[in-house]
Amino acid sequence: MTEFFNIIAVGLLLGGIYSLVAVGLNLIFGVVRIVNFAQGEFVMLGMYGTFAAQMALGFDPYIAPVIVVPLLFALGCAVYWLLLRPLQGEPMMQVFATFGLLMALENVVLAVTRGVGYSVNSALSQVSIKLGPLQIGLTRVIVLTAATAVAIALGWYLKTSLPGKAIRAIAQDRRAARLMGINVDRMYMISFGIGTALAGLAGCLLAPLYTMSPQIGANFIMPAFAVVVLGGLGSVAGAYAGGIIVGLTEALAGYYLDPALKQAVLFMVFIIVLLVRPQGLFGIAGAEEVGLREEH
Amino acid sequence: MTAAFLDVRSASKHFGGLKAVDDVSFAIAPGELVSIIGPNGAGKTTLFNLLTGQLAPSGGSVHFKGHDIGRLRPNQRARLGFGRTFQISQTLTSMSVLENGMIGAFLHHRGLEAAAAKAWSALEQVGLANRAAFKAGELTLGERRRLEVARALAMEPEVLLLDEVMAGLNQTEVQEIIDLVQRLNATGVTFLVIEHNLKVVRAFSRRVIVLNRGQLLAEGSAADVLANPEVIQAYVGKKGM
Amino acid sequence: MKNTETPTMLPPGAYIRTLRRELPVTAAVVAAMAALVILFAGDSFSLNILATTFLFAGLATAWNIIGGLGGQFSLGHSVFFATGAIISANLFLVFQLSPWLSLPLVAAVAALLSVAVSWPVFRLRGPFFSIATMALTEVALALAIYFDRFTGGARGLSIPFRLGLENMIFRDRFSYALLMVGYLALTLLVMAIVTRSRLGYSLQAVRDNEDAAMASGIDVLRTKLAGMAISAALTAVGGTLFLMFVRVVDPPTLFSLFDVGVKVAMIALVGGIGTIYGPLLGALFLVPLESYLRAQLGGSVPGGNLIALGVVLMLTALFLRRGIFGAVQSAWHRLRRPAL
Repeated sequence: MTEFFNIIAVGLLLGGIYSLVAVGLNLIFGVVRIVNFAQGEFVMLGMYGTFAAQMALGFDPYIAPVIVVPLLFALGCAVYWLLLRPLQGEPMMQVFATFGLLMALENVVLAVTRGVGYSVNSALSQVSIKLGPLQIGLTRVIVLTAATAVAIALGWYLKTSLPGKAIRAIAQDRRAARLMGINVDRMYMISFGIGTALAGLAGCLLAPLYTMSPQIGANFIMPAFAVVVLGGLGSVAGAYAGGIIVGLTEALAGYYLDPALKQAVLFMVFIIVLLVRPQGLFGIAGAEEVGLREEH
Repeated sequence: MTAAFLDVRSASKHFGGLKAVDDVSFAIAPGELVSIIGPNGAGKTTLFNLLTGQLAPSGGSVHFKGHDIGRLRPNQRARLGFGRTFQISQTLTSMSVLENGMIGAFLHHRGLEAAAAKAWSALEQVGLANRAAFKAGELTLGERRRLEVARALAMEPEVLLLDEVMAGLNQTEVQEIIDLVQRLNATGVTFLVIEHNLKVVRAFSRRVIVLNRGQLLAEGSAADVLANPEVIQAYVGKKGM
Repeated sequence: MKNTETPTMLPPGAYIRTLRRELPVTAAVVAAMAALVILFAGDSFSLNILATTFLFAGLATAWNIIGGLGGQFSLGHSVFFATGAIISANLFLVFQLSPWLSLPLVAAVAALLSVAVSWPVFRLRGPFFSIATMALTEVALALAIYFDRFTGGARGLSIPFRLGLENMIFRDRFSYALLMVGYLALTLLVMAIVTRSRLGYSLQAVRDNEDAAMASGIDVLRTKLAGMAISAALTAVGGTLFLMFVRVVDPPTLFSLFDVGVKVAMIALVGGIGTIYGPLLGALFLVPLESYLRAQLGGSVPGGNLIALGVVLMLTALFLRRGIFGAVQSAWHRLRRPAL
């Protein structure tokens, strides 16, 4: 029984990681209608940014977001404006463009770091929490808590703030939103920036958990796609719940089947959900505009 | 009683609570030229989509030459002889005008040159032969509508469904399409035409079907239907025509 | 003018390029590539690059059938590539079956496999299709590493050096370069046949507008499946040739998203998506460029070649959507067609 709870705990904490990465991806997905293959690289940049902040300024990883998040917001805005805005309405070209971005970012970091695996230290790294018979690392609990907080905060922001309302209006009907006087391009840029900034935040919080490599983004992007598709396009709650489901699936499959097959199981679940319920578990209307087919 | 050529029985399509087409029945005889009119949102295009299989019906059936075709996919109905144009023109934008026609012609012609010849004659019929080498995406709106007619013509259909093909065309072009429709109709092609321009409706169709809010409001000769107070009410109530 | 069915009566405006008119062009292109190989005879470094170039030109041409003509941007073609390599390797190692003889078999298996996996996935459109094909690659890779009896697991399989034409193993790079020209010729021939046939036109119609295609009587799913099966079969053949070219293959390399799945799509895009000779142009540009950059930057700037490729990819998406071939073509059209 302890074993089982242990797996559930591992799954939940892993789910927290995936949720955190997926929330930003899903915002970009749901609002800007762009499938951003480079989202994992934004997380990777966040991790390296955290490392740089520690090296240069002696920042603890949990303080690094102060610098990293605004920087990635700016990067996201620039990427949207220069690379993706000209490709509006060309979803396949966007796929190629974000793939090119992925290759470039990954290898720029490789060139700069020469592939040395860095890691950061936090005062909190060694702390663990005792929960009944379970020992849980505080850093992982922080990720899960942060994912929860980000999901709630983002949901609240989209619901109540004026820019948030504009973003939701665009997500529902961009033409109508434009007619209402909303500057759609600007809101897209901001949404993309927020999505990128959230990836940066995820990078900061994940930095103490992983040894960094330029390719680490790839570990996040496929599960994050699975999360988004499972949770539903553009749904913040969906991304959160989807992350937890994916984390649990991976942990359970890893334990009960074979660790080597957990990826295969995860993606099979993903493909099945994609086919059976393409709008996702919490999906919102309008998914077909990004390329889903209506049933005949 | 022999089965009608095209027999629509209690066709219905609901989108959630909205009854876009609600229990509509009518029959079309071979060689007829029937107009379908009605205010915006009356369900005309949805009805077309039920006839050609673009939408799955919520209820009712469609029979063609005695066969229930309600479950067939659009491509299967095309093979049976249904040709159509779309309200929002659907051309193959990256392909040339000639190639657009060929896509229709391939239905009955396997070879490239035979299909090209068929497409060419269809383009000539709608007056687009001089645009054959252009990409469909380069055409004007009016030309795109005519290109859709050409693609449908190249399919050598038995029933041709035209969804507001006159919209956005100038006076001369409208007359050309009317002439074309009448000429083809005389050769035996059955027509179902959604049309907003009541002058056009009066000019060429003997029979008119009126839809309003998804239901069949009236049906009969053009003169009778257009004099029907209910029909006038439906139109005037919506917009002053 | 009455309906004319005889080709000779076609007016000039209805001119279309038929297969009969296409084949001489294809033959000339292949001959030019063979001449290029002969020109570099004896220079194994260049021959190696040429062999790789033509292998990837062939793979990109194969991808182009479903990706370019059909508009279905598969990022999962490495699955079919790996299928070819792994099956041929096993048949060679276990039964000493000549790779020449396993070619038709791997082509058939890949075609069937592609139909089986694509049947459900073709319900998805656009980027969602691409994501699903990526996920399929991950599943396949995980399975390949798990079932290491057939794939050699992470260590891979190696083919013993048994020289001979019947084993498709040669000492000189010249033969491999010619072998790859042969593969290119095969893929170009199939691409030309498909493009100049009803299937090719149907694939393009499906790519442009599924509703219009369906209304014109095209069975959309069947068209996509046919295109995918042909594309997958040719890709598997490329996988077998790759196996015999390098003689050591491991699943992470074979299923690689970047070295195979995305690369073939990228080559097709840069060269000219949906065109017969575009992918060849793309490969002639990208493969030597990458080799050159790797040689120049590999030591000093690790990953420098991939940075350059990433930038090329972004620039192509932004400014050269129809690729090198498309750009040349539209310039040619502008010259030939007077403005109306």
